Amino acid sequence: MRKKVLGLFYFAAAIAILVAALKVTNWLPSVLQEGAMKKYGSIEEVKSKLKVRDIYVPSYFPQSVKWPPSRILAQSRPYFALLMEFSHVETSDVSLVISQVADNGPIPEEKLRLAQIKERATYSLKGRTALLEVGACENELPCSRISWNEGKYKLTLIIKAPPFDLLKIADSMVN
Amino acid sequence: MNISNFFNSYLGMYIAQAFCHSLVAALIVDRAIQAWGITSPMVRQRFSLIVVLFPIVSFPLYQIMNPNRGSVSFRLESLFDINRWLNLDLWGIVTVNILFILMLLVTSLVFLFQEMIPILKHTLESSEEEVEEETADNPIVKKALENFPGQKPRVSVIDDDEFILFSATGKSSTIFISSGLVEALDTDQLQASIAHEVAHIEKNKRPLLTAVYLMRMLMFFNPVVLVEFRRMVQEEEKICDDMAVEMTQNPGALAEILRKFDYKREDLDLRKMKSLSTLSVSLEDYSHNVHLESRIKRLEEGSEHRAGGEWLKFLLTLVVIGVINYFVV
Repeated sequence: MRKKVLGLFYFAAAIAILVAALKVTNWLPSVLQEGAMKKYGSIEEVKSKLKVRDIYVPSYFPQSVKWPPSRILAQSRPYFALLMEFSHVETSDVSLVISQVADNGPIPEEKLRLAQIKERATYSLKGRTALLEVGACENELPCSRISWNEGKYKLTLIIKAPPFDLLKIADSMVN
Repeated sequence: MNISNFFNSYLGMYIAQAFCHSLVAALIVDRAIQAWGITSPMVRQRFSLIVVLFPIVSFPLYQIMNPNRGSVSFRLESLFDINRWLNLDLWGIVTVNILFILMLLVTSLVFLFQEMIPILKHTLESSEEEVEEETADNPIVKKALENFPGQKPRVSVIDDDEFILFSATGKSSTIFISSGLVEALDTDQLQASIAHEVAHIEKNKRPLLTAVYLMRMLMFFNPVVLVEFRRMVQEEEKICDDMAVEMTQNPGALAEILRKFDYKREDLDLRKMKSLSTLSVSLEDYSHNVHLESRIKRLEEGSEHRAGGEWLKFLLTLVVIGVINYFVV
């Protein structure tokens, strides 16, 4: 019996060491090299840490969307990608997601996803050709998405609302 | 396709996570065997089975349980995210994902040339070739079979001075033994060697290893599975040793035969290896000898032949592997 208990204790200790080793191994790349996907506290921090000059932030926000972003995720490796999530003032659910991705990379995460597209149209955004899509999110609430190319970046905005506010937000992001 | 994008696709995630999951499983299984002092080769083989089979199903299973497991949010909270390593740039020359792909390629080639092609070749040859054999009129073999416990097997003697011993299973299972080996063994040793082959024939009636091998082929790229499957094959030999000892009650005789098969072992001197092929052959011989010696040692020391039980430990290990690997993406 004593041997069995000791064996169990030894096994539990080995598992604890393995979990710790996995944690350390997971943390190590961020020490060796900056730029892996991680959370940032502010847009300024993203700019300074990842040495990125052009980050597109809207100057217009509808009253229903809370500023500052509830979560900012960014990476510079293997391609630059920035995700800004904004919560709804009342529900605190994510109601707007802005992504800025370089080199035609895929958007790393889609917190809001257009599950159903009812209408798709091109839209002229201060001389740029944008694609506007209107439909429903996974919970069948109205959702809309707009995306366009801005220099080497692709900007995508998705909002849990009809497109009116979305167009105003997108319009406020470019000169 | 960009390599980093490949490792974000389902196929890429499957390959990368299968590797990680098998590595974690191998480490946990190794610790479990050590912690509980498991010596029975049958139980050890059962534990190795987790390392070989678990990574085949783990990724799809986890994805069904949680489709968002591949998302950034999940990865950020995970225990280990392999993409953090794969996307690392080494001195601005090469990314780790290239080295990772190279490792998978080398493993695939080893699998192809050391396992797949030889097995196919052997299958084709054995269906065409007829072994030149004498039937068991050999007086030494006859004598060994006289007192053989249980059903007497069919034994054929091949006219060859080399030490050859193997069995063919199928409709009429036969044990093949070379005349050189028959002459080198006494009656007890011959009986022990026949008993070992009978154990292989018996085990082949429920061909667990063949079934596992067929499934393990899906993991042809996985170096951890490659090593673990070979360990399972080695455990199979020990299981057959135990069965042979149970039949003959003479572990010493079997140990003596193994000693005869043991190559004259020279110290492994890497400086003397002139080419990579010599090095590879020497390493193979070395590992073969180590395996033979461990078999001889357990026969001489008398091992515990507990094959049953240990299911609780097995299940606990499986659960721990399942839980930890869920957070390894």
